[in-house]
Amino acid sequence: MKRLLLLRTSYPTSSRLVATVVLAVLGVAITFTLTALDDSKLAGGAAIAIVIVGLSWLIGWSGQVSLGNSGFMAIGAYATAIWANHHTTTPIIFTLLLATACGAVGGLILALPSTRLRGPYLAGMTLAFSFAIAPLALNFPSLTGGSGGLFLNFLSAPTWFVNLFSGSQALIRANAQWTADVAIVVTAVAFFFMANLFHSRTGRAMRLVRDNDVAAELAGVNLQRTRTLAFAISAAYAGLGGSLLTLLTGSVTPQTYSLPLSILLLTLMVLGGIGTLSGAVIGGLIYSYSDNLVSLINKTTGISPTSTFGANLKGIVFGVLLILTMLLAPRGLVGMGSRLTSLVRRPARES
Amino acid sequence: MGSFLTSRFITYLLGGISSGVVIALVALSLVIIWKSTHVLNFAQGAMGMFAAFVGMNLVFKGTNYWLCVLLSLAVGLALGGVTERVLIRPLYGKPEINPIVVMVGFLGVIESAIPSIWHSNLLPVPTPFSQVYYQNNGHTILISPFVIFQVVLALGIMGGVALLFQYTNLGLKMRAAALAPEVSRLLGVRVNRLLTLGWILSSGVGAMAGVIVSSGQSLAATNMDGIFVSAFIAAAVGGLESPIGAITGGLLIGVTESFILGYWSSNMAPLAGVIVLVISLAIRPQGIFTRNITRRV
Repeated sequence: MKRLLLLRTSYPTSSRLVATVVLAVLGVAITFTLTALDDSKLAGGAAIAIVIVGLSWLIGWSGQVSLGNSGFMAIGAYATAIWANHHTTTPIIFTLLLATACGAVGGLILALPSTRLRGPYLAGMTLAFSFAIAPLALNFPSLTGGSGGLFLNFLSAPTWFVNLFSGSQALIRANAQWTADVAIVVTAVAFFFMANLFHSRTGRAMRLVRDNDVAAELAGVNLQRTRTLAFAISAAYAGLGGSLLTLLTGSVTPQTYSLPLSILLLTLMVLGGIGTLSGAVIGGLIYSYSDNLVSLINKTTGISPTSTFGANLKGIVFGVLLILTMLLAPRGLVGMGSRLTSLVRRPARES
Repeated sequence: MGSFLTSRFITYLLGGISSGVVIALVALSLVIIWKSTHVLNFAQGAMGMFAAFVGMNLVFKGTNYWLCVLLSLAVGLALGGVTERVLIRPLYGKPEINPIVVMVGFLGVIESAIPSIWHSNLLPVPTPFSQVYYQNNGHTILISPFVIFQVVLALGIMGGVALLFQYTNLGLKMRAAALAPEVSRLLGVRVNRLLTLGWILSSGVGAMAGVIVSSGQSLAATNMDGIFVSAFIAAAVGGLESPIGAITGGLLIGVTESFILGYWSSNMAPLAGVIVLVISLAIRPQGIFTRNITRRV
């Protein structure tokens, strides 16, 4: 009980807002020092971090497992692409909000039959959904562009931003950095809302539902509504992430949003640390630099990236990492970090 | 009679049954694992395909088909035992999400490992029986000697598993260990060993499903993905506890898929499982073939 009260009062919304702004400004400042390549990697990682934090919320806080978040990403991505192709001058913020709403509606629809399911049943249901989404997209080629997907104009920097840059590659660098900055700001806003949600009445109700649903019901929590809400919020975050990713890359194809992506999301979330904001950030960063990681392994082990083994190395590495993390350190890198700091602190307290 | 057998309805029904038996087989293997260790094995399909790859690749090199089937079965059995000992045993008593996540990771590992071990080969695996469909007065009936072999083999395995559980001492012990592990342990049943045996058995059944699916087709790591999803839904529809429910569910989904494929669109076939699941959950959320149980508070 004491702990609950502590959580409630220790970080008021205003200090969370300050922290968010400081971190966002810091993030934007860092993008000025990076190369165009790193900026675009960072932007992709930021979009994925949004999806991960949504998944983390669902699994870590409400205790429901979803393998369908790649499907909700697809909904957000297609909503963005279809809208952008018809209304070229819409401000980004409107497009992002639209995709978020589409994701939330998709989540609500799937939640209606799913939240009656528990644990493995639910995971299987969402698995079926993530399998069905690509064939669905293929079945309406006039809307979704079929297997070729859709293309749209990706984000480009406004003139005042381009004017900050000079030199031969000013436009490329400006565009890459602009996308990274937009992604960081959007991620900061999304994380701010999630941080508040974690410590809100809903967040506390959610953890009670996860730990003991009977007690939650006795305390007046509506199980069905709480679980559905958790699902819809997670889907909304996936929709937002998918939308942002589409705006960054300028294209959407059904193959992108299939089961391997869901597995990757789960891996990144577990690696970072389930149910934590910092874990989601770490997951996003790992996503950004996963190709570097794989090429590092290629270099150190001498496996050729063009061989069949090298081409599949990423899947194997991430699968093995997921298994090892779950078996040895189920709380992920964040958990390892806090264990280390407590090890350092404990002797100090004793002395 | 001839026109009846070649009518669209019967054609789709027969096609649905022949794909349904494989779904039913995988669903049965999921139920065996679920009953023994309460884990939903997300890597079941991939493990079955791995075993099938080991055996069926040798068929191309001229090895006898039946020897290769036995090899696949042996690999499947061994893989199940090793998986339970190494990946699942450390997770007993942990939150139920942990084994789910581990098996999802294992799924990723197998599906990346298969194409890096075996070079892609688009040739279909040779079959011991003819794949030419029977004709009736110039009309094709969607049954070939090979299809009959697939169905008979699948039904034979199901029958064997049923006999094992119902009529042997070992089957009795396994059921007891699943139902009341503590009591069984007190009565001298080596429960841990039987949990491993459950995985071995289930993985063997999965390997045979992989063999049935792969024969007559080109081998691909993802061959079983769609089947696994359908099989999971079949098992869930039956209530995850009931072998009969799983088999019925599997046939139901196979036939539904076949009808959607025939009358609607091939892209919509993956929706068959979702449709069946949503309808069955709306009617009986605890599964069609389970008695009402109260959940411990």
